[in-house]
Amino acid sequence: MTELIRLTGITKVLKGQKEPRTILDGVDLTVRAGESVAIVGRSGSGKSTLLSVLGLFDRPDSGTYSLDGRDISRLPERHAAKLRSSHFGFVFQRFFLLKHLTAAQNVAMALINGQGWLPRRDRRARVMAALEQVGIAHLARNRPVKMSGGEQQRVAIARALVRDPRVLLADEPTGALDTETGSIVIDALQEATTRGCALILVTHDRDHAARMGRIADLRSGVLTERSHTLSAGRLS
Amino acid sequence: MRRFSGRLRSASIIGLQGIRARKLRTLLSMVSLFLGVLAVVVVQAGAGIAERLQLADLELQTGIDGTKVLYGVPPVAGAGQAVVDTVRGRPDAVAMVGLTAVVGEPGVRPVNAGGSPFDQNWGGASQICDATGKCYDPNAGLPQGQAIELRLTALTGDVREFRPYRPQSGAWLDFASAPMMAPRLVLNEEAAKGFERYHVPAQMRVNGASADMTPQLIGVVKDGDPQPHGYVRLDELTNWLPLARLTDPNGMSDIQVAMAASTPVEPVLTAKLKGLGGADMSIETIDSRKEMQDQLNLLRLIFLAMAGLVLVIGAAGVLNVGLATVGERVEEFALRRAVGTPRAVLAGIVLAETLLTGLFTAAAAIGVSVAALKAVTVVLGPSEPFLQGVEFPWSAGVSGIIAGLVAGILGGFVPAIRAAGIPIATVMRA
Repeated sequence: MTELIRLTGITKVLKGQKEPRTILDGVDLTVRAGESVAIVGRSGSGKSTLLSVLGLFDRPDSGTYSLDGRDISRLPERHAAKLRSSHFGFVFQRFFLLKHLTAAQNVAMALINGQGWLPRRDRRARVMAALEQVGIAHLARNRPVKMSGGEQQRVAIARALVRDPRVLLADEPTGALDTETGSIVIDALQEATTRGCALILVTHDRDHAARMGRIADLRSGVLTERSHTLSAGRLS
Repeated sequence: MRRFSGRLRSASIIGLQGIRARKLRTLLSMVSLFLGVLAVVVVQAGAGIAERLQLADLELQTGIDGTKVLYGVPPVAGAGQAVVDTVRGRPDAVAMVGLTAVVGEPGVRPVNAGGSPFDQNWGGASQICDATGKCYDPNAGLPQGQAIELRLTALTGDVREFRPYRPQSGAWLDFASAPMMAPRLVLNEEAAKGFERYHVPAQMRVNGASADMTPQLIGVVKDGDPQPHGYVRLDELTNWLPLARLTDPNGMSDIQVAMAASTPVEPVLTAKLKGLGGADMSIETIDSRKEMQDQLNLLRLIFLAMAGLVLVIGAAGVLNVGLATVGERVEEFALRRAVGTPRAVLAGIVLAETLLTGLFTAAAAIGVSVAALKAVTVVLGPSEPFLQGVEFPWSAGVSGIIAGLVAGILGGFVPAIRAAGIPIATVMRA
């Protein structure tokens, strides 16, 4: 598997308070194409900040972030937006579906983002393929209010997958779901890795973390790899 | 270009989705903007219609823009004959000989001595000057009787090419037929009013004529002249009044020549008249529109400034609604940024919504204005002739659309900047 992401000595300091607080402290991480990595850790340990840096929402204060061998640590916002569109898919704990749009329109949101233009027919085909991928093509015309939490999260996953991203970043995607539905969502996310997409999952759930290829533990801004011997239950 | 097109399309589609999702808010924005855009449309339409009506009346009196008018034919013997000989039978130039005529009982003072309008009394009479330059009142000491004084214009051809008199009833002078002994007369509306009000004998006197004539009244036109006025063929008048006397420099007549913009008549006539000693001639090219626009523009500016103020207040309403909407859509905009939407497109989405709102408002304001104008012309048209045939000027529609777009930009600019600045991390912290 080819190396896709390499973080080297990434630090992020939270300023604006009495004393600056280090959120990420020299984080090193390498992720290959098709690999799945779970990032676990207590609340406030910096998991979401790490995901923000990985997803180009935020810039690291120091360190190097390489994607496909290219340093993207200091990318201007214009280029970062383009890269988010072409390389990344995001799934959040809350589904963030627009209630006035149908499932298909919510998925199409990632295609109608000002980064190029797809004819309507192609757009529809890709949207339906993404919905098919997560098993809810039959709900394409439904609005979010008529869907269950699991279905809504799968629409959000379809939205993340519709541009065939290289990296899928998921921030506690099962946090608002019951165990069974959560498992279905994790299945849908893992399915993407079979097509070469890297999956980075932030989770508190030991079972879901255990299903990933690797587990990394973030404590006080320091990331360390763990062995695959987590007991069932929730990490806290 | 392709990237720009993709961004524009994306912003438009998402903007339309936003409008559909928030119909009530869009409606409220439209309501706040409506009066301002309507004011702009009404001011522009009013000014356009007023200009058109004023121009139409001005054209009747001074001539169609581009027409050349020769004034100051020298007061020398033979000048009148030279003018008539030059323009006779030509469609591109018409000589107009103006004089005074009285129709009615002989030996009486006309009911409108001096050729005044019938509802006004100017109190004076036309003066006649003899060869020695001594002028006198031909009606002095006469009792008032059933006679009407009017200004008469004798024409060598159809002057409507240059002055588009509007037919009201009957017919216009026929220059193709043989001249008649009883001169055919076309009256203006004021003269027609006099003949309707006073029953006068059909006997017409013109100073210097060999005998009184029996005129035939054949039609009525609108000529924009408030005084009673009649039009007659010059060759029918000269049956009774030799041209030399009609154009007598000591008489009451005056000669003008209306010409097309480019006609060989002008140099020929100018040369002839100069040969006769005409040093004071002047040729004026009619440009009524420019003169009138200068006057109207100031008025239009004042009204547009007021309309602009109302528009700004409307734009403030759009701004208010826009800011509230962006505040509610923080997560949506953050999410859109997360999926790769550039900041410029986010701003474009908000601007597209306010611009479309402005456009819808403009369409509504134009529709209301067109319908109101139509209703006014249907209801008041029969009693107010100036309203007949009035059409909504397209320039007012364009102004309305521009006003709607400007208000959309003014109202959407700040919300657009706010939307573009929403941090993506909003979705992470939610």
